[in-house]
Amino acid sequence: MNDRLRNYRNWMMLSIFTIATFIALIPLFGVLSYVVKNGISALSLQFFTNLPKAMGLSGGGMANAIVGTLIMVFIASLIGIPIGILAAIYLTEYDRHSWLSVGVRFATDVLTGIPSIIVGIVIYTAVVLKMGNFSALAGGFALSIIMIPLIIRSTEEMLKLISHSIREAGYALGISKGKTILRIILPTAAKGIITGAMLAVARVAGETAPLLFTALGNQYWAHSLNEPMASLPVQIFQYATSPYKEWHQQAWAGSLVLISLVIILNLSARFAFRSRSN
Amino acid sequence: MLSIKNKPLVGLFLLIFGFSMMGCGAQNPGTPSGQDKSAKANLTGAGSSFVYPLLNQQIEEYRKMNSNITINYQSTGSGAGIKQVSEQTLDFGATDGPMTEDQMKAAKGGKLLHIPLTLGAVAVTYNVPNAPKNLKIAPADLADIFLGKITNWNDQRIATNNPGVTLPDTKITVAHRSDGSGTTYIFSDYLSSVSPEWSSKVGKGTSLNWPAGIGGKGNAGVAGAIQQTPGSIGYLELAYAVQNNLPYATMQNKEGKWITPSLQSTSAAAAATTIPEDMRVSIVNASGADVYPIAGFTWVLIYQDQKDKTKGTALVNFVNWAIHEGQNLSEGLQYAKLPASLVGREEAMLRTITFEGQPILK
Repeated sequence: MNDRLRNYRNWMMLSIFTIATFIALIPLFGVLSYVVKNGISALSLQFFTNLPKAMGLSGGGMANAIVGTLIMVFIASLIGIPIGILAAIYLTEYDRHSWLSVGVRFATDVLTGIPSIIVGIVIYTAVVLKMGNFSALAGGFALSIIMIPLIIRSTEEMLKLISHSIREAGYALGISKGKTILRIILPTAAKGIITGAMLAVARVAGETAPLLFTALGNQYWAHSLNEPMASLPVQIFQYATSPYKEWHQQAWAGSLVLISLVIILNLSARFAFRSRSN
Repeated sequence: MLSIKNKPLVGLFLLIFGFSMMGCGAQNPGTPSGQDKSAKANLTGAGSSFVYPLLNQQIEEYRKMNSNITINYQSTGSGAGIKQVSEQTLDFGATDGPMTEDQMKAAKGGKLLHIPLTLGAVAVTYNVPNAPKNLKIAPADLADIFLGKITNWNDQRIATNNPGVTLPDTKITVAHRSDGSGTTYIFSDYLSSVSPEWSSKVGKGTSLNWPAGIGGKGNAGVAGAIQQTPGSIGYLELAYAVQNNLPYATMQNKEGKWITPSLQSTSAAAAATTIPEDMRVSIVNASGADVYPIAGFTWVLIYQDQKDKTKGTALVNFVNWAIHEGQNLSEGLQYAKLPASLVGREEAMLRTITFEGQPILK
């Protein structure tokens, strides 16, 4: 009697969890299939090789936006990943409890929650107005500011997972603190740190708001990092809000490319993590 | 062991180094001013999203003849265009609503000229079951609908203008733009001119405190809200309504004639209005028999005193082309042509643009 009740309860709860899981998956697959359905027809080789064409002319692409997104995410990574990782090492290895690290931790938590448009406005005021023009560099800066708190947080979590006995083992052998971090702690946590960094990269690749008033956008190739540069999210935004079906098509294709880019980054992050830990 | 482990690090430093070098090169583009007409010029402009498709095509067309001129125009919205050209982060701006006196004073590069580039009409669209395609709505009724005073489609005031049409007993839902928009500016400018109550209670502007209704982002957002809500009414750029086959209302103009929005009736609004010296003028509710009353200019914003000869020359030449030959591209994209009487005056205005005191256009 008691057993039956328990089994019944078990079955009940299990089905609730399963249903909840499927419901949680609906939006993900809904969005994915919708974007693929709408985007695949406008996707062609030209889309990857050509510049955008004006309304009414066929054969336009988003080559400059794809490259632009890659360049600006790269600039952001160059700034954001080293700063983020070094800051996290400081917070976990050198200074866990002082007012400074408590303050930095609080600031990173606040920064992760700040709407990205605000980062865009700050960089617009601090960089674009000072330099006197919109530029890819400003766009990269804006993205890096979104990245840094994400990387600090994920790296810190990874470093915290490493047990103290490993650090003490290092010291017991007479290895200096710096060497212990560089040769023992970082390699042990490397997979987790890399995963965190790649997820942060994937996150900023899809950001529109911080780029609108920093990198601005460009329907041509930018000749230098000091010029306005196109990016996929901004190009999609401009096309999607236009009145024309042809441009909506292009926006769908752009969305598909952007989503694929983010998924590839996500998957490779997970794959890197899994293959080494097994 | 040590050298192998450090290799990625060395690579990273090389990359950083390489990029910082690129950055250095970029900061010194080394284009001296005062070059001839074949000099390369990169211009950046932004603003009105309404004019984006047209301007984009004009730029592309112009580039076929002048491959040395690259013009990057981005649609950031009229408000942002005004702000950024005032901050001199752009070479030119574009806006659907004229700059206010305060905005003109805040411009850092001196006097900004308003040069009309094209005309737009705002269509009143609706989703009423079984309603005809061109419902007639009187100006005062439109204002009262948007004020939330007429609340049902079977209201007697709507019915009197549409004999033979039976409108259903459906609640009216007003749809409007939630983002700042030149379309909202033109529409509210019109309502202010036909309804004293609207003028005192709501007024005109790119974003408003709406007395009634639901908001949507962009033309697409409003169109979506209308399509999903039976009984709704809203306003869209004419091009958007036409491209997406949405029904739109016939409006009564100042002379009492019922006019359907079209490119001709939009151009007529500009031709019928007395346009002042500085071109900053509202053309809503213009008098004239064939005028559609909800229309407005899109202006290009250019500093009268250009600081860079190459860029200034390229900009003035392009705009001069855009108001002449460039107008031929308008109608294919559902934009109204500038009236011929205005183009000559605009050209004269372009001739007042100078570099170091010398007029650029010869």
